[in-house]
Amino acid sequence: MTLLTTHLPASETIAARAIAVDKFYGKGETEVRALNGIDVEFEQGRFTAIMGPSGSGKSTLMHCLAGLDRITNGSIVIGGTDLTSLSERQLTLLRRDRIGFVFQAFNLVPTLSALENITLPMDLAGVDPDQEWLDTVIDTVGLADRLSHRPGELSGGQQQRVAVARALASRPELIFADEPTGNLDSTSGAEMLDFMRRAVREMDQTIVMVTHDPVAASYSDRVVFLADGRIVDDLADPTPDSVLDAMKRLGD
Amino acid sequence: MFKLTLRNLLDRKIRFVLTTSTVVIGVMFVVGVFVLTDSIRTSFDALANDIESGVDLTVRSPLDIGDELDRVAVPQGIAEIAVAVPGVASIDGRVVARNTVISDGVGEPIIPRGPPTLGFSWFPTQFFIIDGHQPETPDQFATDATTASDNDLVVGEVYTVSGPTDQREFTLSGIFNFGDPDENKSIAGTTMAAFELTTAQDFLDKPDSFNELSVAVASGADPVVVQEALAAAVGDDFEVVTQRVKVEETQSDFNAFISIFGNVLLAFALIAVFVSAFIINNTFQIILGQRVRELGLLRALGATGRQVSRSVLGEAAMVGVFSTGVGIFLGLGLARVLRSLLKAGGFSLPDGPIELHARTIIFAVAVGMGVTVLSSIAPARRARGISPMAALSDSVRLTKSGLGRRIKVGTTMVVLGWLLLGLGLFAGLGTKQLLLSVSLGGVLIFIGTTVLSPAFATQISRVIGWPIQRLFGVPGRLARENAARSPRRTSSTAGALMIGLALVSMAGVVGQSIKKTFVDTLDNSVQADYFVRSTGAGFDPTTGFPAQVEQLVSEVDEVDLVVGYHFGLDSISINGSTKNVFTTDFSAGTEHMDPDVVAGSITSGDPLGSILLHEDPAEDLFVCIGDTVVVQFPDGAVVGLEVAAIYTDSAIFDNYVIDNALWNEHFNRPELLFLTASITGFSDDLPEEQQLALLASSAEAIRGVTDEFRTVNVENRVEFRQSQQAQLDSFLITITVFLTLALFIALIGIANTLALSVFERTREIGLLRAVGLTRRQLRRSVRWEAAIVSVFGAILGVGLGLAFGVAAAIAIPDTAVKTVAVPWGSLAIYVVVAAIAGLIAAILPARRAARMNVLEAIASE
Ligand SMILES: Nc1ncnc2c1ncn2[C@@H]1O[C@H](COP(=O)(O)OP(=O)(O)OP(=O)(O)O)[C@@H](O)[C@H]1O
Ligand SMILES: [Mg+2]
Repeated sequence: MTLLTTHLPASETIAARAIAVDKFYGKGETEVRALNGIDVEFEQGRFTAIMGPSGSGKSTLMHCLAGLDRITNGSIVIGGTDLTSLSERQLTLLRRDRIGFVFQAFNLVPTLSALENITLPMDLAGVDPDQEWLDTVIDTVGLADRLSHRPGELSGGQQQRVAVARALASRPELIFADEPTGNLDSTSGAEMLDFMRRAVREMDQTIVMVTHDPVAASYSDRVVFLADGRIVDDLADPTPDSVLDAMKRLGD
Repeated sequence: MFKLTLRNLLDRKIRFVLTTSTVVIGVMFVVGVFVLTDSIRTSFDALANDIESGVDLTVRSPLDIGDELDRVAVPQGIAEIAVAVPGVASIDGRVVARNTVISDGVGEPIIPRGPPTLGFSWFPTQFFIIDGHQPETPDQFATDATTASDNDLVVGEVYTVSGPTDQREFTLSGIFNFGDPDENKSIAGTTMAAFELTTAQDFLDKPDSFNELSVAVASGADPVVVQEALAAAVGDDFEVVTQRVKVEETQSDFNAFISIFGNVLLAFALIAVFVSAFIINNTFQIILGQRVRELGLLRALGATGRQVSRSVLGEAAMVGVFSTGVGIFLGLGLARVLRSLLKAGGFSLPDGPIELHARTIIFAVAVGMGVTVLSSIAPARRARGISPMAALSDSVRLTKSGLGRRIKVGTTMVVLGWLLLGLGLFAGLGTKQLLLSVSLGGVLIFIGTTVLSPAFATQISRVIGWPIQRLFGVPGRLARENAARSPRRTSSTAGALMIGLALVSMAGVVGQSIKKTFVDTLDNSVQADYFVRSTGAGFDPTTGFPAQVEQLVSEVDEVDLVVGYHFGLDSISINGSTKNVFTTDFSAGTEHMDPDVVAGSITSGDPLGSILLHEDPAEDLFVCIGDTVVVQFPDGAVVGLEVAAIYTDSAIFDNYVIDNALWNEHFNRPELLFLTASITGFSDDLPEEQQLALLASSAEAIRGVTDEFRTVNVENRVEFRQSQQAQLDSFLITITVFLTLALFIALIGIANTLALSVFERTREIGLLRAVGLTRRQLRRSVRWEAAIVSVFGAILGVGLGLAFGVAAAIAIPDTAVKTVAVPWGSLAIYVVVAAIAGLIAAILPARRAARMNVLEAIASE
């Protein structure tokens, strides 16, 4: 864990910023305040984890940051672009060109091969992938011999690695991962996390990951804690123990 | 379990609507057709009663074969004998003839497409004047209200009327309602011209005679006694029938017509049902696939396999009940709509109540329930095999029936189907058996092909999708892979389209072959330079134009020879079976038409004592040149005719040919079907310029005499070929339009399957949208997926249609089809149209897919 603590971000540029963000579901009696006055920044070149109890708004925050969902109040800025001013189509293109995703499960299009899945966002944009970068990514993921296989022919861990490779392949400004290891056994989970950390360290990527697991969170550079739609804690250079401590504090 | 089934249905309304819609359409068509024909039949039966009321007894000559109007005329003398019979109050002689064509104010002949153009003597119990008065002098006629109003005929104006032998000018003295004082009940566009009796006898070619005598029995006299007395008085050459018999005859005439009409419609309705069955089956399979996890959970909780499969069947049964009910209801509406459409199309039908018979309901239930329950048996059986593990495992798949078994079953069905088809086409069965074996064969081939096609659906879809992927990048790639991913679904979706296109293509091949045969015959065996025939006459062999035209054309200086032709459908009897008869002038030999004589010679034939035979009947009858064939005519005469020539080309001559002289002796139909003329000095060897000049001058000369005959059309060979081809084309287009119905249902099926597939792929779509697939790209990929599936179906359909068409063309007698020809261009167009139709069918599902909320899609189970 020494490596972790000694790491310093390459730069302090802000990749994503949420300013006074509210997200309400429903109306009147049934109104749910999923996000309640969130102010948060995510630096470029860092690996940030979001934690918090179930229903605290982690996924909602991530979806809003990624342009998958609209917010009720406030604004979200990705690399200088205010998402609240974008049309549906512009949001789609922003996701395609500037953001990468890894979901908990079902990350891949079953009819496409692993390689096709990896290059999908670029194929959609009609741009040629940077071959050198692509090779690097694929090498790092360690799937070079599985590229022509369909998702159905890959294990759950392999599928998630392909998903990360896809998120990295187009060198997005920001990658969001919602419980990417939630469906994996601990070994594959560790591999995944290690891989994501290397992507941040060695490839200067920016990753925001939602997780429930203190060990997973400890792979990151910073942990943001949510409860009831608010940011309640912010921990730098986490270790499993410091994360657990923070969680205990919040539980009280 | 039942509650769950019901819940299942109600929870998924869209899916329910999609499933039921196809069954509803099938049932609706069946009910619509039955209700329409039943209603028409009822009104026609009432009409028959109206028409024949007021006539107690009828005296006429008997008729064994031929057309009603082929009865031998009743001479004036018989009327005089009849009127003297005790108990007879009065005798009215009646005259009727076909091909009595009125020309309208601008000289255009009024010729309905199909229905007859009738001429009558005035008959007070059937005609009810509503304007003007009944015809009283030789220069007057009256017509029915519909003909008058449709063609703006005005009382007091002079119109040209063309009859069996000549044409004359008449003043329209009055307009009448037929059959009913308050409403004109002339049928289906029939035109009627009525004349005063002696004028009718003269103009309609019944000199001093009648078609029949209508007898009114004196009040107080016993009709049975009078009938017997009359029969004795008129002798064995005539018969006396009661009003009842006449009504029944008229009804059965109508019925014959309605049955043909109804059977044609029913055939289309059944095709619709068959296509629907494909789609329903497909839908159940997909739905089951979606429910595997849920059913697995039920199994895990303790439901038996039987309970699970029963729940699937139960769902199908409920869909069946619901759709049948809605289908019956909509069918009643459809019957009304069809009726109005027919009316709007100039096919007027007597009004009457809409008739919903028990038989219709039984049939509808059998179709609606049968189709749904049968289609769900296979899915239900598969549901039984779902393991409780299905609830737990992530990627659930139904066990697929092995490819090997699939190929075995499919091949067996296809082979059996072709055997049945071959049996039907070539074994010389009766009409009923033929239809049964052909349609059963067709059904087996269709199902068998659909069972087989998953074996190659993936590969073919990829091939079809290749250019689309090239063209549209990722959306194209997704379309291609989605079409290829579930070969069974692609196959059964395409199957519905396949049926429609197979039928259309088959019609195309048969039509093209008929056309080719016709053109070949015209080129090879017809030497005449001109063809004269009735304006607007289609392939209806009962049309004709005044016989006088033959005389007039032959008097034209440029004309060197004229030959007239008649045709009688089922009008002679040989060895107890009725045959068609064609006529020509034996003396003309093969000058104008060469049927390829292989023995004897036409010119050697005795006009009144010889017959020409096609080689097939000659062989069947076991006769050769000089032998005698005994022929019975409609007038009852039985004549031994010597075989003068045997020929091999039946395209124009059909199988039996007699001389015009013999025809005129035994038939009451002097009007000609067509005539041919040749020009003095014309020959194909002449320089082209000279040919054209000759044609131009002779055409002018011939038209000079025929022009005044409004109903007659003169065409040279090129024009004749063109007009005949145009007629065939319009006939083909009509059939194709009807068959498009099947395509329409298939498209609903495609839309249906696609909507379900989109639903099934919700998460995948969410993911694609999340990583940047735009709505447009998504819509595009769904649309092109449909196009690929459609083209797959179209290729199967066109392929099968081609095979069916060639088989049918070979089976059709040489009279109609001698050479098989394939309309490659049209077939290619069908495939393109199918692709476009697929794109259209996908519009709604694509929109639905694009409207999905990305987050909800990702989060969905
Ligand atoms: N579409 C929705 N409609 C209404 N309420 C919603 C919706 N989505 C989320 N919520 C509510 O918003 C709150 C935050 O949900 P969110 O999914 O962000 O939680 P989470 O922190 O990701 O929880 P978990 O750890 O269980 O995934 C919850 O109370 C949830 O019930
Ligand atoms: Mg969550």
